[in-house]
Amino acid sequence: MLHERRRYAVLRWTLLLLGTVLFLLPFALLLRGALSTEADLTSGTWHWLPPTWEWGNLSAVLDNQTVPLGRALLNSTVIAVSQTVGVLVLSGMAGYGLARIPYRWSGVVFWLITVTLLIPAAVTFVPSFVLVSSLGWISTLRGLIVPGLFQALATFLFRQFFLSFPREIEEAAALDGLSWWGTFWRVVVPNSGGFAAAIGTITFIGSWNAFLWPLVIGRTPESWTVQVALSTYLTAQTSQVSLLFMAALVAILPLLLMFLLLQRWIVQGVERTGISD
Amino acid sequence: MLARLRGRHDVNLWFWVFVGPFFAGLVLFIYVPIGWSVYLSFFEAYNTVTPTEFVGLANYRDMLADPAFRDSLLTFVVFAAFIVPTTFALSLLTALLVARTRVMQAFFRSVFFLPVACSYVVAALIWKMSIFSGMRSGAANALLGLVGLDPVPWLSITDPPWYWLVIVSARLWLQVGFYMILFLAALQRVPTNLYEAAAIDGAEGWQVFRHITWPQLLPASTAVLLLLLINAFQAFDEFYNILAGFGGYPPYARPPLVYLYYTALGSGQNFGDGSAGAVILTVLIAVVALAQTRLLRLGGRD
Amino acid sequence: MARPHRPLPTLSRRRMLALGGVGALGASLAACGDNTGREGSSDQDAAGSSGGRPSIAQWYHQYGEEGTQEAVRRYAADYEAADVTVFWKPGDYDQTTAASLLTDAGPDVFEYGNGPTIDMIRGDQVADLTDLFGDTLDDFTPSLIERMTYDGKIWAVPQVLDMQVLVYRRSMLEGAGIDAPQQIPELVAAARELTRGDVKGLFLGNDGGAGLMGGPMLWAAGLDYLDGEQVGFDSAGAPEALSVLRTLWTDESLLLGQAKDWFDPDALISGRTAMQWTGLWTFPAISDALGDDFGAIPWPSMEGGSPSVPVGAYGSCVSTRAADVQAAKDFVRWLWIDQTDKQLDFATSYGFHVPSRVSLVPEADVLASGPAADAAGYVTEFGHAQTPLLWTPQCATAWSDMMSRVVRDGADPQEELDALVPVVEAELERVTG
Repeated sequence: MLHERRRYAVLRWTLLLLGTVLFLLPFALLLRGALSTEADLTSGTWHWLPPTWEWGNLSAVLDNQTVPLGRALLNSTVIAVSQTVGVLVLSGMAGYGLARIPYRWSGVVFWLITVTLLIPAAVTFVPSFVLVSSLGWISTLRGLIVPGLFQALATFLFRQFFLSFPREIEEAAALDGLSWWGTFWRVVVPNSGGFAAAIGTITFIGSWNAFLWPLVIGRTPESWTVQVALSTYLTAQTSQVSLLFMAALVAILPLLLMFLLLQRWIVQGVERTGISD
Repeated sequence: MLARLRGRHDVNLWFWVFVGPFFAGLVLFIYVPIGWSVYLSFFEAYNTVTPTEFVGLANYRDMLADPAFRDSLLTFVVFAAFIVPTTFALSLLTALLVARTRVMQAFFRSVFFLPVACSYVVAALIWKMSIFSGMRSGAANALLGLVGLDPVPWLSITDPPWYWLVIVSARLWLQVGFYMILFLAALQRVPTNLYEAAAIDGAEGWQVFRHITWPQLLPASTAVLLLLLINAFQAFDEFYNILAGFGGYPPYARPPLVYLYYTALGSGQNFGDGSAGAVILTVLIAVVALAQTRLLRLGGRD
Repeated sequence: MARPHRPLPTLSRRRMLALGGVGALGASLAACGDNTGREGSSDQDAAGSSGGRPSIAQWYHQYGEEGTQEAVRRYAADYEAADVTVFWKPGDYDQTTAASLLTDAGPDVFEYGNGPTIDMIRGDQVADLTDLFGDTLDDFTPSLIERMTYDGKIWAVPQVLDMQVLVYRRSMLEGAGIDAPQQIPELVAAARELTRGDVKGLFLGNDGGAGLMGGPMLWAAGLDYLDGEQVGFDSAGAPEALSVLRTLWTDESLLLGQAKDWFDPDALISGRTAMQWTGLWTFPAISDALGDDFGAIPWPSMEGGSPSVPVGAYGSCVSTRAADVQAAKDFVRWLWIDQTDKQLDFATSYGFHVPSRVSLVPEADVLASGPAADAAGYVTEFGHAQTPLLWTPQCATAWSDMMSRVVRDGADPQEELDALVPVVEAELERVTG
């Protein structure tokens, strides 16, 4: 019995430590690549650590004209922030309307929204490209941001959340003579911070890491996001591998920091999506 | 209750104030493109999105007859057959390991969850240029070198199809942590008195899992399976970034979205066929997802 | 887990956002994008007010040779009649450019490999440039002009002539007592002989030559992609020619999995391969690293064929969606026809290329001696257009898929070629019918 338990513990720890090494190794390799010289990286010999530490890669990437990383970081930030704010406002309002306002066709509208959940957004990229190019939005921030503002999943989750929101508070507000609008903004919103933060973080990550849509829409270097800029050099004719690693490192650092700081909320957001109930 | 306090007219107005902006956008950016796509799929449309030549069902026939399109569906099936069960098993395993660990639990959870912050593009870069580089200096080849084996050009050869190892392992690294969190959440909801009862009955490790934990995890498992499948269907990023090069994309490991990308948006600019392919895929996914949600309902929880 | 309670930002701003969003959505439907990607780029001196001069957006693919980008920006800055902004586009240039021509975010002037595709010409996406040449037409290498001509009109101005050759390390061949191969069987034997340990005999790209060597193998057998408006590979000798690449593959004489592919001389310079198929543009880098320890030969021949080198040229094209088509055409004439000193600089200062003007070739000193002179000499004797004009993107894709299956998977070349014939015939029918 005790033996059994100890053996379990040993096995568990072995697996955990092995997993830790495997899961952290890619980050270590990224760091190693970013601080290596080009010659060491493309040579035929393996090194655990860069034989020569190349700290110049950072300034080389930031100054490099062919990798417009600064502009790409700015684009990614603008897009991710706008989409996060936009999704929270649009889906929050829609979720509340669907959860609370007894409109006759509410059920039909809700059905029309949820049915789109069955169609992955990625599959509609061809027709969406056609639409966005007809609007003249190719290679514009608008074309990159606006189509991503309408997330049926976020609306669905907000509706679920508001359905479980205690009604008494709202009824008190209604008796005080507040309209739907006033009730929502002054009573409901201030009490939904945690949930909104969770949805917001997940939206932000998804937006920052999105690739297919920005690749399709961002056709000029000025409109590239970080992911598209990286990918472009990954598939390009000639590129400096060491600079590519450094650019990738710069691209994921903000998100890694955010992750370590906000992990509790993110985890909560994933849990709260309720899909595992 | 609330409705009685307000006029009917009011209700209609306020509903659309709240839901209208979102719904209008959804119609414009989901329903309109799908409609347009259906329309385009009946026309010959090279290098134009306002075609004039009606060709009926010819595009659909072309697509279904196109071995490359059918191959892309097969690629998806193979890929899903790899990735869905493997991710499922590994996420469940890590969730169980982390849940049973009292010491440093937060640390291990972070380690497995951290890659979720990483994009597929960055992962593809590390996998292609560092871990599975075909040169002696790639991590995988360095490991083979230790035991005296020759370096393997992982992404150049198709026999054996090592590129699957590259693609699948990259996706595993990125995904496992996310689904681990879902399982962890479900594990926390298992009532402790069940475990206590099992302990009194003298049940051990595997038996506890089989009779107590697993039945409680069923609803979460069904949801995870559906999510994994839909995500596998959308696979594009890592395939494109690992396999595409200056000379285009090789004729293997082309999932449906990669195929569509090259058909419709590449130099071919074939919007008729591309739209027909998109419609076929959309229908397929909707059918699969509907069937899955039916099964989910049968699972007894909504 | 504790639920963090944090009030979100103030209401008024959010309310404005929410309401503003609705209005913006409606307005944007009516509006058309005004950002055409033609604003001055960040890395040029702010041109300021253009003083009524037209603006031209000019696109190049990302050249690997050091200094090319600075050079083309310099040329553009020297142009007085318009504000030219250079866009340097890495990545899958052919695909993105083709797609951008559909939109207002596309280029005014752009280069395209071997001139515009037949679909661009037939879709009226590129302007007819015949009248730009004037009396200089006879001075351009005829094969290049021919490749960019359709329907009696010329659709692009060839910028420089690019070519690919087989480069080998003299010392490695001498060390093994091997002469530079002239026949395909000699090449196969040499590649096998020179493969030792981690050093491979031949590098044809990370895909084992599947993407690159189909044409040279057809020419080696005396065939071609197309014969006029007919399929050109549908005859005896083609399957045998393609199976040579499969033999090299199964012999394991091919270098694969390099961080830098065939267009970079890294594999040859570092000694990981004894022979490499690459472009003339790499010669300066190779001679810097190896001195005169290298030679260049055409792709060897088989029975019934002859040695060959693929020859191509990026052609400068004008989009019919350009803001000012005439201004764009004037710029193309100025840069690629009038400014011969710039053309010479472009051809020879950043990696080696052959000028597309016959009269400039003798002036290209760097091509006067050594392996570069040998290679340039092969152009007239063994040059083949990389692909014919009627070889559409769909044909090219189907062909390279087929090549990959033959070379990497060991598919039967005869069956694969037979399956390809109807595909190519359908495309020919589409563009000539």
